[in-house]
Amino acid sequence: MKQELIEQYVAGRLGEAETQAFEEYCIANPEFARQVEYEQRLKAGIVQVARGSTAEFVRSNNPLPWRLAAAAAVLLAVISIVYAWNRLLPTHAPAIMAAVSADDHRNGESLRLALVRGTETTPALQPGVVRIEIVGLFDPGFHYTVALDRLERNKNVETMATLYSQHPTSPTTLEVMVDSNQLRPGAYSLRVRKQAYGEDSLDFGFVKF
Amino acid sequence: MDFVPGGELSRRIREGDVSAESELIRQFEPGLRVLLRRRTGGDYGLLQDLVQETLLVVIQRLRGAGIDDPQKLAAFAAQTARNLAIASLRKAERQRTDVDSDATERNADPAQSVEGIAADVEAALAVRALLRELPQPRDRLMLKRFYLDDHEKEIICQEMDLTEAAFNQALSRARRRFRQILEERGFSKRDLLSLGT
Repeated sequence: MKQELIEQYVAGRLGEAETQAFEEYCIANPEFARQVEYEQRLKAGIVQVARGSTAEFVRSNNPLPWRLAAAAAVLLAVISIVYAWNRLLPTHAPAIMAAVSADDHRNGESLRLALVRGTETTPALQPGVVRIEIVGLFDPGFHYTVALDRLERNKNVETMATLYSQHPTSPTTLEVMVDSNQLRPGAYSLRVRKQAYGEDSLDFGFVKF
Repeated sequence: MDFVPGGELSRRIREGDVSAESELIRQFEPGLRVLLRRRTGGDYGLLQDLVQETLLVVIQRLRGAGIDDPQKLAAFAAQTARNLAIASLRKAERQRTDVDSDATERNADPAQSVEGIAADVEAALAVRALLRELPQPRDRLMLKRFYLDDHEKEIICQEMDLTEAAFNQALSRARRRFRQILEERGFSKRDLLSLGT
């Protein structure tokens, strides 16, 4: 019965009062809400895939070429990674981003990043080693992954550094240290994601002049 | 997760218990995402902003004046989220200088909003992976007809010569696998590059 209700809600077939009651039930029951969200995402994903073409929904089975292509892609990726690792990475590269591990870190330069809708200015990162305070709603009981992305003009995204298992300092703050001197001028984004939780990441943009 | 009644959460937040605020966020966030996903037309940035804004409003209200009936905390949070979504839509419409038919449609029919600015790239990639894995062409077609064409189950079963039990079983298998794919794979922005191919 519950699954039927979920289907009706996602398809927009519930009346106004039913919709309100359903939503309030979701808010009071997080596990149920997650089930509903997966249904919403499945539908949204299908809509998105079908936007280009519906051919994938009607193709016949022919798994062998897929498997061969996948195996070749994996092999190529492994070779590329090993090559890049050996040739391009310096052996003792200083860290671009690090966790805030000492009280001294709190005395230096700092930058506050928050999601503010409608703002026209992008925060600018100062030179040197800067403590970045990311302001949002964080769950102190969970680990977060923080990735530093460089946003290229051609819309490519290059991940410069990633920190795993970061604990928020408080329910509204998560802090990291960034060495600004190692960053080229340009647009960057700190991508924060709750680990092992299947949620979307939050992006906090800034620029380095 | 243990369910913490709204009345108790309200009381603890009013008394300054920070862990109660975390519990409220953990408990309410998934439901708010459901409610707001439906009202933000697939705009992920807006969805995230509104979830956070709603939680901040609710927490600030509980820290201060509180609400009339603490047992109805979920209803209060839901109404706050709806109001913020409406205000955000109005603001976006005001900012437009020309007529935006997409926004008008989104406002008129929230159920169709996923067809608006669909930006759930992770879900799209998971659907592609799912479609590649489904053993029967019939199952793929069934998904298309159910989720994309919005056909009723009975009609799909009739036209595809399926029993309702077989239909539900295939659908439930697809849902389980979709969820597994999303949970197993840490999709990153780099995956955006492969979406266009």
